[in-house]
Amino acid sequence: MNRPMTRLWPIPALLLAVLLPWLPGLPLFWVSLANTIGLSAIVATGLVVLTGIGGMTSFAQASFVGFGAYASAILSARYGVSPWLGLPLALAVSGAAALAIGAVTLRLSGHYLALGTIAWSVSLFYLFGNLDLVGRNDGISDIPPLTLGGIAFIDVRWSAGLIWICLIAASLATARLLDSRWGRAIRALRGGAVASASFGVDVARARMLAFVHAALLAGLAGWLYAHLQRAVNPTPFGLVASIEYLLMTVVGGAAFLPGALLGAGLVTLVNDRLQQWLPLLLGEGGAWEVIVFGMLLVGVLQVAPEGLWPHLARPRGRSHPRGGPALPARPRPAPGPVLQVTGLRKSFGGLVAVSDVSFQLAAGEILGLIGPNGAGKSTTFNALTGVSAASAGQIIVAGQDVTTWPARRIAALGVARSFQHVKLVAAMSVIENVVLGAHLRGSAAPLAAVLRLDRAEEAALFAEAARQLARVGLADVADRPATSLALGQQRIVEIARALCLDPALLLLDEPAAGLRHAEKQALAELLRRLRAEGMAILVVEHDMEFVMSLADRLVVMDFGTVIAEGLPAEVRRNPAVVEAYLGGVA
Amino acid sequence: MSLLAITGLSVAYRGIPAVSDVSLSVAPGQIATVIGPNGAGKTTLLGAIMGVLPASGAVRFEGADLAGADVESRVARGLSLVAEKRELFTTMTVAENLRLGFWRHRAEGREAAARALDEAYAMFPRLAERRRQQAGTLSGGERQMLAMARALMARPRLLMLDEPSLGLAPLIVRDILRTVTTLRAQGVSVLLVEQNARAALQIADIGYVLEMGRITLSGDSATLASDPRIVELYLGADPTR
Repeated sequence: MNRPMTRLWPIPALLLAVLLPWLPGLPLFWVSLANTIGLSAIVATGLVVLTGIGGMTSFAQASFVGFGAYASAILSARYGVSPWLGLPLALAVSGAAALAIGAVTLRLSGHYLALGTIAWSVSLFYLFGNLDLVGRNDGISDIPPLTLGGIAFIDVRWSAGLIWICLIAASLATARLLDSRWGRAIRALRGGAVASASFGVDVARARMLAFVHAALLAGLAGWLYAHLQRAVNPTPFGLVASIEYLLMTVVGGAAFLPGALLGAGLVTLVNDRLQQWLPLLLGEGGAWEVIVFGMLLVGVLQVAPEGLWPHLARPRGRSHPRGGPALPARPRPAPGPVLQVTGLRKSFGGLVAVSDVSFQLAAGEILGLIGPNGAGKSTTFNALTGVSAASAGQIIVAGQDVTTWPARRIAALGVARSFQHVKLVAAMSVIENVVLGAHLRGSAAPLAAVLRLDRAEEAALFAEAARQLARVGLADVADRPATSLALGQQRIVEIARALCLDPALLLLDEPAAGLRHAEKQALAELLRRLRAEGMAILVVEHDMEFVMSLADRLVVMDFGTVIAEGLPAEVRRNPAVVEAYLGGVA
Repeated sequence: MSLLAITGLSVAYRGIPAVSDVSLSVAPGQIATVIGPNGAGKTTLLGAIMGVLPASGAVRFEGADLAGADVESRVARGLSLVAEKRELFTTMTVAENLRLGFWRHRAEGREAAARALDEAYAMFPRLAERRRQQAGTLSGGERQMLAMARALMARPRLLMLDEPSLGLAPLIVRDILRTVTTLRAQGVSVLLVEQNARAALQIADIGYVLEMGRITLSGDSATLASDPRIVELYLGADPTR
């Protein structure tokens, strides 16, 4: 294992960043090209989190660079304050702008979000160009350079050190953030948002976190830009620049941190070389570089739609702290009803999918909810878990009326679930998916993760996930990519994730589907043990053999209503149930 | 001779068998039904016959081996599938959906198309009332009728129906199954896949029971309908026995 080596990459990287620019004989032009690359890579690193990992396309990153640059420029050029104090201001302004813009824009999704950021980008560009405060289209000049111990960062070789130190810090902070409780919430945004909400993740907050993180990195780049260029105007903060940042991220490999630097480097270098060589080959005045660059880009994305980084290096699995102390457990529910459903009704427009469904589930009981296809079982399940609100009726969990609660709040009461269509995050390992279930049992904030103050808690969370994986018999696949498992095993991973919540009420949607006979027996055994510990378990199931032998009681639904309830043997003999399954005689 | 003859058909998803060694046949002018609980492999079986899923084993239609034939050529030979999800063009009107069903015969011209449309409306008067309505606004029963009518516009020799009763109220199920018997009278053979075992067996000539991907029972549908093993198949063995 070369983990310690890869952990220590920032130290040689820092030495290289500070010393390499001073290599004798190195043309200064190359150093300033490296500075452009470094600045762009800082912005692109934010876009990796936001777009590549979080799935939110932003065409406004250059605007946030602008917020950072203008904030520090005004403070130092107009008010004579030290440029170093401009950094906290630049971060505060770009962060606050992200909070404000995010609050109104992030509720959009997909293309609409991308369009929304384009609108912001264009309007902020004109705002910068027309506001007296920021010098309209002329911008602000005579910005003082950064100085340290008598050295002014005017020489590009000094600037290089500073820029690359900032890039290293930004990468390190981002890597740490992604490898934390909130980082996993961001990584689960694409494809796993419903599942993570069901385990108590505030999905809107995770989106905002990714947005603000990207904006802070852009603000950092803006601060550097303002004091290294010592003049700012609206042009580098417009839509074209934003598109270029996005381009770098996508070319490099949007879902991979090193892709940011790779993309920034390639796009900058190729652009520069094309501008040098093409006029020599094809004559001046043709703007050939734009055309050739476009063709190259199309070619790259044809060959490598995920960007170039995954073609250069095999993505490494993350190593996780293990062996933490046990997490505090929830007190076992008192004997008596844990779940009470009364008169539940759910209609979609004029269609009544579920009507007047009532049942109870006590601690230490397994209740089977069965019925033919289309009976309304999944709709009932979604109402219970807060995925889609009931139209009428009442759902009481542990004495609390949760009828109108969102999934996230219901999870906090100790309600964990699995999904009929497995919802695991493909880009995360088995154990990372499982630890998502323990989100509510940790409390570390994103900043704590960046400062690595969350390690003890992380170790405890991962120890819990490992324990639950061992309990369901999947300890040996903990580090495999989640979606590389067989579908039946993925269902069991979902159960381990649910157990990580330390639930009082466990809701399982077709847990036995796709399992082999021995696996079904092991699952039934596990569920019986959980029942003995006092857990209340609701199982929606099609496998009659499985549910008949497992459940204490059955509730049978057909056409959205409960048609029978009772002991499995009674239910099985009930003519209404037989008719529901086999059909009536027409 | 059988219209459709399947021997040793198997389908697997990522190495996990979904349908194993299934053999069945449908004679001309016959309604054959395949019944079985959820997850038995019924929809997979139809997908394999239609050529949308890769399968091993032999599928012969009117004596011709369909190995290697793509979906379009199977449709051209007279196979037609009404999928479980109905797969309507929801933003098109009822009439537009039906006309697309006639696509295979478009060379016959406008008048032939209009005649076929009239025949479809005669069989499903409800659709005639709704001809200008968007398919997405129809009720569940009307959607099923439209899906069947659209399939019939292609004049299939064998109509395959995947759970036509799914999610429909008993009265509508009865209407739809009655239409299926009418089709038989008109010479269209039907392969009916159903969970609703009793209703399916009542209209079918021959029945097959599919369980965990295998045919476990088959025979004359009246005999099957009274077989106690059918209840066990759906509801599991009696736990008290």
